Amino acid sequence: MINQITYWILVIGFQVLVLNHLDISSYIYPQVFVTLLLTLPLHLKKTYQLLIGFGLGLVMDLFIYSPGIHMSACLWFVVIRIMILNRQDLKEHANNKLEYSLKTAGFSPFFYTTLVLIIFYHFYILWLEGIGNINIEYMTIMGLSSSLLSLTIIGVFQALKLNKYS
Amino acid sequence: MQRLFAFIEHNFHIILFVILQTICGFLIFSLNPYQQATFSKASLGVTSSINKLSSDVYSYWDLKSQNIWLQNQISQQFKESFPQSLNYLNDTFLINDTSMHHIFDAIPAHVVFNTAHKSNNVFIINKGLNHGVRKNMGVISSQGIAGIVLSSNQKFSAVMSLLNTNMKVTPHINGQEYFTEMIWDNTKLNRLTINGINKLEQINIDDEVSTGNSSLLFPKGIPIGHISKINIMPKSQYFEIELKTATNFRNLEYVFVIINKEYSDLNDLISND
Repeated sequence: MINQITYWILVIGFQVLVLNHLDISSYIYPQVFVTLLLTLPLHLKKTYQLLIGFGLGLVMDLFIYSPGIHMSACLWFVVIRIMILNRQDLKEHANNKLEYSLKTAGFSPFFYTTLVLIIFYHFYILWLEGIGNINIEYMTIMGLSSSLLSLTIIGVFQALKLNKYS
Repeated sequence: MQRLFAFIEHNFHIILFVILQTICGFLIFSLNPYQQATFSKASLGVTSSINKLSSDVYSYWDLKSQNIWLQNQISQQFKESFPQSLNYLNDTFLINDTSMHHIFDAIPAHVVFNTAHKSNNVFIINKGLNHGVRKNMGVISSQGIAGIVLSSNQKFSAVMSLLNTNMKVTPHINGQEYFTEMIWDNTKLNRLTINGINKLEQINIDDEVSTGNSSLLFPKGIPIGHISKINIMPKSQYFEIELKTATNFRNLEYVFVIINKEYSDLNDLISND
């Protein structure tokens, strides 16, 4: 439990203190903290997942002062995750109270889920931030480049976890 | 009831999601200045078009009462308008004060029957003896002169239209009154003919023709029409002038009956002379 809390604090700290201040390009704004929602335990009730998503979004909104934007995006993230995971055969893992990860789900399902959710999350954030005056070209480049970097970092996280448990 | 609770329990995560998203929506559009402005702009567009539609419908249904209200307003303004009143300076005699005295009054009326195609046209208004309308009172529309009351019963009055061969009104053109006749010759709708104005007079097309001081039925300055055509007859020393009436008699609907409160006194004075 303590390990889990520490992991959460580290990921949120990495997002807030490092990634939010990353100055590689104006087109790159990765949202890696969503890996916490992505890897939530499989046995967790939907209601709790929603509340956790809402809480995590609230924390992120407090740090970057974007009231409601990350909260809304996290809620959609959780709902879409539930819909995707319902199509995957994960009952045994849920009974064993395992979290959703590269190790438990396998590469292809995990990659597919992560890809869909990460791309959705970045585009949803960009859409909400620019609502009413959206530059499609800018949004596409920024959404894809940020998603790509986020996917890479999440992949590194998963690889580190895989090494730790193997 | 149990079914309801079971339904809520089974779909609680959906209800929770909707509630939480509503909170998010509220936060996004109330605390983020840019999103707030966008939302305000979008909602303004939607609400303004709905309000316009509602206003159009309401205005349409309210037209009748608006017309009555406008008629009353015009009637009131007519009473209070300075040029339509005689001004008495009473300080010469008894009272050391200046006061306004209204000589003309106006009663709004609605035309219930109208003809414009006959040689002697009349129209009927919904005001009669009960409302103070009597024979020989002037009738005007919001555009200009309409006619003179021929007869009245308790509720209605028959009015001789300006488009009537028996109608006699003295024209006042360019500040000068011409004691000649304006004739409805039953050839064109809303057109009268003025004969007897000397060719030496300065008369031009589009000059306004209005009532003058010589009428006891109408206040001075009520439009009769505009000069639309001037025929110069080679063997005559007079113009033949065609006048387009200010009032459109084809769609005459709302009029005002003019009451000269001093009519009998003035008429007696004139008759004695």
